[in-house]
Amino acid sequence: MAQYNILDYGFKNFTKDGKASGFQVLVKDSYYRGIYAPLIESFEATVDGESFARDQIQCKFRDNVYSQDDLQNHPNERWQFNEPCTLIITKPGGLKPGFHNIEIVVRERISYMPVIPSVRTFKAKLAMVM
Amino acid sequence: MELTRKAFMQTLAGAAVTAALPKASMPAAARKTKMKLSVTAYSYGSDIREGSMTFDSVVADVADMGCDGIELLGETNVQDYPNPSSEWVAHWFSLLDQYNLKPSAYDTFVDTMFYHNRNLTSSEAAEFLERDFKLAHRLGFRNLRQQWPPYKADDPADEINAPYVMSKLATETIMKALPLAEKYDVRMGIELHSPTQLKSKFIDSILETIQKTGTKHLGFTPDFSSFVRRPPRNRIAELLNQGARQKIIDYIVSAYQNKLGPEKTVAEVKKMGGNDMEVQYAGIAGIYHFSNNDPKDLSRLVPYCFHVHAKFYEITDDLKEYSIPYDELLRVLEEGGYDQYLSSEYEGSREEHTISAALRAHQAMMRSTLGIV
Repeated sequence: MAQYNILDYGFKNFTKDGKASGFQVLVKDSYYRGIYAPLIESFEATVDGESFARDQIQCKFRDNVYSQDDLQNHPNERWQFNEPCTLIITKPGGLKPGFHNIEIVVRERISYMPVIPSVRTFKAKLAMVM
Repeated sequence: MELTRKAFMQTLAGAAVTAALPKASMPAAARKTKMKLSVTAYSYGSDIREGSMTFDSVVADVADMGCDGIELLGETNVQDYPNPSSEWVAHWFSLLDQYNLKPSAYDTFVDTMFYHNRNLTSSEAAEFLERDFKLAHRLGFRNLRQQWPPYKADDPADEINAPYVMSKLATETIMKALPLAEKYDVRMGIELHSPTQLKSKFIDSILETIQKTGTKHLGFTPDFSSFVRRPPRNRIAELLNQGARQKIIDYIVSAYQNKLGPEKTVAEVKKMGGNDMEVQYAGIAGIYHFSNNDPKDLSRLVPYCFHVHAKFYEITDDLKEYSIPYDELLRVLEEGGYDQYLSSEYEGSREEHTISAALRAHQAMMRSTLGIV
């Protein structure tokens, strides 16, 4: 099914000291407005059934990288409307070339909603090139 | 090969799109009414997110359907919110000029639960509002569709109407924001979205504040989601597809229309053996997300209305809103001398490429009801 939340663009492994040490994936929110970083309670990621711990997932807004726990400390940082957040996920060896089933869950505190947090789940099948 | 609209839009980047589309050329409308027409850019959210429209093509589309004004949601539509570049601001004014549109209203929120471990204080909440007041003023807006600060109700029994409840912290926030609104000359039109109850202490207390202070910078923005006579059909069709039963849905709709209230409706549906989906639809996250006020109860607020969210879900082929009594609502506004904007806010099907058509049908319905030819 067509989806726009998890981007093909930017899906790639990254290396540390010449070895693949993880991968990144870009995510656009489905909420109708951009939000301040402290409103984000968590990003969760599952790839081909493997879940990653909170401290294995960092997030990047434009050029600024944060651990998830640190998002609370940046009241002026924003996940802008219609802009992707880059999730930087630690995984020694990275992901193999070829298809991967990705699931991203985002939890956000939207103060006026009857249920808090709002939980949004995005799924996509992406292809890793290298 | 036929060029789809999506492909067409993608062939032309930003400015080129607006240059390619002709200026709005509606004939000068013969009008008896003083009300003005607008669309909120929020309506186009899914077309923007999915890439078939841009901010510029949204502005062009609103002008193309003959509107007088356009409404923006700061956090959605303003690039680099809350500090757009001076180039972006100049571009916004050049679009307004090119398409002959006025800024109708600017939408604000208050994230009372900003931090994970505590609520914002009322002073912090007013500081956030000041950012929006400054920006709205900079972008040429005078009217705000302002969200009532969503703090907990003072009276727990009132929580069922949250966030449209009496709250000491919300009132403090508004009182602290009031001199700032005066400073930037923006008018806080408190949004009366569903589940607002128009006959309530909540409304009485805002009216009392307006009358006691004599302020010209605090009033209301009614949202027609508070006048839903029968719930939108597309959601019911979805529920039936997913396994909800017609008999139970019919019961929930009639309970809503008889104003049974969420607690009793949920209890009854549980007694009928309702499944999770049916029980959820029976409560505040379902059908009671709407409210069913009498349009006549809007009368006493009309002198204090700065803006109106003309919410709609579905325009039928005979040019009626399926859920909302527009003829009655527009009559109440007309009789009360309302002379500001009716701003189309679409919350029907979010399917891409259907939004502009829905907005145009809605504008046609309002024009016909108001006798604008």
